[in-house]
Amino acid sequence: MNSIMHLLQFTDSTFPVGTFSFSNGLETAAYERVVHDAATLESYTRAVALQAAFSDGVAALLAHRATLAGDYDELCRTDSRIMLFKMNDEARLMLGRMGKKLAELGVRLFKGNELITRWLADIEAGTTPGSYPVAQGIVFALADIDEERLYASHQYGVINMVLSAALRCVRVSHYDTQEILFRLSATVPELYERARDMTFEDMNSFVPEMDIMASLHEKGNMRMFMN
Amino acid sequence: MLERYYSDSPKVDFDSAAEMAPYTAQPDAMYVGCPGKHGYLNLGFELDASGKSILRELDRRAPLIVQQELYFDEAMPEMPCVYILSSGGPNVDGDRYVQNFTVHRNAFAHISTGAATKLAEMKRNYSGMTQRIVLEEGAYLEYLPEPVIPCRHTRFICDTCIVADPTATLFYSEVYMGGRKYYKDGELFVFDILSVATHAERPDGRQLFREKFIIDPARSGIRDTGMMADYDIFANVIVVTPEDTAAKIYNATTPYIDRERHVAAGITHLPNGAGLLFKVLGKETGPVKAAVREFCSTVRMAVKGRPLPPEFPWR
Repeated sequence: MNSIMHLLQFTDSTFPVGTFSFSNGLETAAYERVVHDAATLESYTRAVALQAAFSDGVAALLAHRATLAGDYDELCRTDSRIMLFKMNDEARLMLGRMGKKLAELGVRLFKGNELITRWLADIEAGTTPGSYPVAQGIVFALADIDEERLYASHQYGVINMVLSAALRCVRVSHYDTQEILFRLSATVPELYERARDMTFEDMNSFVPEMDIMASLHEKGNMRMFMN
Repeated sequence: MLERYYSDSPKVDFDSAAEMAPYTAQPDAMYVGCPGKHGYLNLGFELDASGKSILRELDRRAPLIVQQELYFDEAMPEMPCVYILSSGGPNVDGDRYVQNFTVHRNAFAHISTGAATKLAEMKRNYSGMTQRIVLEEGAYLEYLPEPVIPCRHTRFICDTCIVADPTATLFYSEVYMGGRKYYKDGELFVFDILSVATHAERPDGRQLFREKFIIDPARSGIRDTGMMADYDIFANVIVVTPEDTAAKIYNATTPYIDRERHVAAGITHLPNGAGLLFKVLGKETGPVKAAVREFCSTVRMAVKGRPLPPEFPWR
């Protein structure tokens, strides 16, 4: 019961790690009318979820296992490796900011825990980038939440981040976004089955149109979200 | 059981890659990596005693062919240019290739292919390639090949390792078509899988970045917004270069979505100050190739102070 309560807390959109500041390129996609209704929003969100499923999602799983094994070096390795894989400034910024926030929260939630304290100290010292998926892996492991639930929460967070941003910049209703969330949630078990055995070498991502959107945003003027 | 690899054949084996697991049976035709299906190419460029950049090392095995360097670049006549040809036609089931390019200290070169690389229909196995690109101090390499065209049921995997000195510049481009767009009724995204990994490190082993994309149209929503949407051609360009050069190139490049010509392009910074990543999407090959070439010209301008000459009319 306790771990389910923690799962709900960490997955809630009010959990203060800054998800609301980011849109995963949606703002530009909406501005360019690439995303303009419920159908295009669902398609875009599915693409975002798929690329997260085989990159950040895998990093979260690897970090969760490393935490359970007490392997701090493996945590740091996973952390720097996921950053090697992040191909734009804003993605790196997002991962770093949210990761640090979660580490700071983690230190308060798990008072006296050596691992999370050391983790935050290393982020502050700049010896490890402190990415969000790795922080998730650590915090979920410390809260005794299993990796399947971690993965579900991770995917939920990614999908919900895009859909919440959509309510502010795409002409869709709450009914639309909830329907999309419901349908995309049903695809997560299959993604987990594919992601669970992946290593760093297997991580992959193919979202060229989204990458171009992120680039337009990075060089563009309109800015409601940080990316 | 006969040892089926020649002793000097570099080993190319992706059988342990998870995404290739369904495609590891022996082809019905010639076996995996047999002579003619196991080519390699080692190219080494360096400055000769007079300071001219030349192709010093050329070691190859069919079907990969390089004859000699030519100096046909009108904007940079001192640049050795090499076209890679293949006597085998398309890459087929069970092909294994190795390409190693080294550009020694302060040397420079331009590498392309003579025609598009066709990846044939495959039934049992896959076509695999490993590449290693080494750039020493002050070296400069443009790798600007013609597009890759995957056919129905193509399976292709490629792993490229870049080792770059902090002062070197590599322009590395790849253009992937969705398929034989105008063949019969048109083939788009009916290949089985393209798996492309490119990673870079410094000579001391410090890792810079790793990019891997797997396109498996039957499993992923290739036409999703954010992925290929309604575009048919995709170009990926990696520029490994010092940070000040990267800043010049970044400032000189504008991302855009051109709805009339149906082309979109974006630019971003690679991790660890390694350089830049430029992506282009398009509906037809011509405008995508033109965008990549224009970007290459920007890179050459930032590094060598000269643009690329206009493309040959037959290319």
